[in-house]
Amino acid sequence: MNPIINILDKGIEQSGVDRKTISIPSDIPFPPDAVKTLRIDYFQTPRGRAIAFGTGLKLGNPALKVIPIVGDLMTLGGNHFVHGARRNMEILVLCINNFVYKKIAGKPLTSANPEFSAYSTFEEPFNFPHLGNSCGAVYTARWTALHTKELATSVAEALSKRGLSMIEILAPGPNYYRTIDGVNSDILQFYFDNSIIKNNEDPRNVAITPEEKIVVGTFTDRERPTFIDSYNLQHKKILGDKFTPHGAAPTERGGKDG
Amino acid sequence: MKANPKDVLTGVYYIDGDVASGYGALAAGCKFVAGYPITPSTEAFEAVCHRGPQVGAVFIQMEDELGSISAVMGAAWAGVKTMTITSGPGYSLMQETIGFGAMLEIPFVLLNIQRGGPSTGVPTKTGQADMMQSRWGAHGDYEVIAISPDSPQEMFDYTIKAFNLAERYRCPVMIMSDECVGHMTEKVVIPEADKIEIEARRMYNGPASEYMPFKPDPDLVPKMARAGAGLNLYITGLVHDEKGHPVKSANYKSAHVRRLVDKIRLNKDKIIELKEDGTDGADVIVVSYGISSRVAVKGVEIARQKGIKVGTLRLVTVWPFPDERIAELAQTTKAFVVPEINYGQVVFDVARCTHGKANVVLVPHGGAGVHNPSDVADAIEFAAKHESPLEGVHEFKTRLEKSVFEGGLKLKE
Repeated sequence: MNPIINILDKGIEQSGVDRKTISIPSDIPFPPDAVKTLRIDYFQTPRGRAIAFGTGLKLGNPALKVIPIVGDLMTLGGNHFVHGARRNMEILVLCINNFVYKKIAGKPLTSANPEFSAYSTFEEPFNFPHLGNSCGAVYTARWTALHTKELATSVAEALSKRGLSMIEILAPGPNYYRTIDGVNSDILQFYFDNSIIKNNEDPRNVAITPEEKIVVGTFTDRERPTFIDSYNLQHKKILGDKFTPHGAAPTERGGKDG
Repeated sequence: MKANPKDVLTGVYYIDGDVASGYGALAAGCKFVAGYPITPSTEAFEAVCHRGPQVGAVFIQMEDELGSISAVMGAAWAGVKTMTITSGPGYSLMQETIGFGAMLEIPFVLLNIQRGGPSTGVPTKTGQADMMQSRWGAHGDYEVIAISPDSPQEMFDYTIKAFNLAERYRCPVMIMSDECVGHMTEKVVIPEADKIEIEARRMYNGPASEYMPFKPDPDLVPKMARAGAGLNLYITGLVHDEKGHPVKSANYKSAHVRRLVDKIRLNKDKIIELKEDGTDGADVIVVSYGISSRVAVKGVEIARQKGIKVGTLRLVTVWPFPDERIAELAQTTKAFVVPEINYGQVVFDVARCTHGKANVVLVPHGGAGVHNPSDVADAIEFAAKHESPLEGVHEFKTRLEKSVFEGGLKLKE
């Protein structure tokens, strides 16, 4: 089974959230057979738009639990993440970081590790937990895809948070890495072995650099009013009884017969 | 189904076209608007932000237009009626996701208050140069519906119609207005809710295990569902089968994309709305839309005073295009005169449909202003007197063009 789907499955099970209410907009295509096992609603969005699409889902029906999945192509659509965290939209962003987009064979991307690009890259990678934390996310964590137990717990914790949570999952899968001298052929194991768990570490200190061990763990866990909280508070204050707070779920299915 | 009285701000108002469109959206039952303010469409977004929270509609100012349109797509799948509002550069940013909306058959309305382009252009002044972009803006084959109102009252009425069409045909519906109509302040009558007919979403209510998100009804339009209803939706922008699962074969691709196109093309008689005056037996017919049709009225009046038999055909619905009607009129009229605020867009579709049976004259305008009615009148007179066939689309030299270019730009040897 796809490791990400497997982790999600365990995390959702552990959280106790009704699967029916879960929607996953993703700019990474997952095959129908894998998604089917999750028993959720899945939307493959245009590149980089999963978070914005998820924002619409959440505001359209606040009863939904929305889990946008983005690649390290948060390069595309990163602004949606920044503003989602700022306004504290209640969604859980899963950033699957494989350091490189394999189909373009090692082009340096914003999250790419300098060590693992064809001629190495001179660009600094993103420190996603720090980015999320500084923009206002209420929960940030990072694990490698082999930290399955910790990841499932993180997903469950994040699903219980009110606000934008983000989990970075290091899942460098492409065969591409296997061709690089000095890199262990089992790249997933390589990252797992070279990681160190430091829960509650200041996210400023968790940047991934080739010289140091990869810091994994849960870094941010705090409370802030969500977008819908603030929306309701502000309009109630000004409009009083003329305003009905947003948040009631639309009736099940409904609409015209057929 | 009638509008919900809570959503309808019944009364007589003196408001601009932007605001009227915002009120129309709320009356149509729009419950989610995402946008990013941009001149000259901002007043419409403001109207929704102001009145929306009082009628249970939620709005969000997104980080950019890419975000706005994506949020609109998400909210539509959450089960609500949605709209986004934009102009010029914002409209260009939205194009990729408009194609995504067409592919996923998402019902949504896009209000584009056209301004002078290209690029930043003239933000505060008018233009009609996004017409072809509305038709062909995203990559791939698809069809949209585009409506072009010409008064604040129509902005209200046709915004409701836009929502109804979006729900009926599950496709993007563009309200291709322009700065003049958007900022034009006139009397707008908002009727009682029971006088407003609105289209409910065509929802699937059968057993969850049998739901096929893209299995069409006999009119080629599939039933919609909402996220969170336990249907295990798998929805993708890849070419998909009726279940929504991605497929790559040429057969599926043809079947799927052909239906996206044909659900509009084959239903176009039900979609197209035209306003005609005096076209029977006319020597010249003025084809126009949006603000240009308001200006053309005066031009037609001047030409009629000179004894020319002029008819008018107003494209309320610009896309899909009324091919058959234009072809029919081409049999009996000498020429079509098309004033539009661009250097030739819709005029080429008029020419395509005449099949060489009538002359076609474009009255161009570069934008940031409207036509001088005398130019429209002169173009009509020219077309009426010109007996021999004109090659392709004949561009009429307006006073403005003459004064700016003194006979046109010439390439230097």
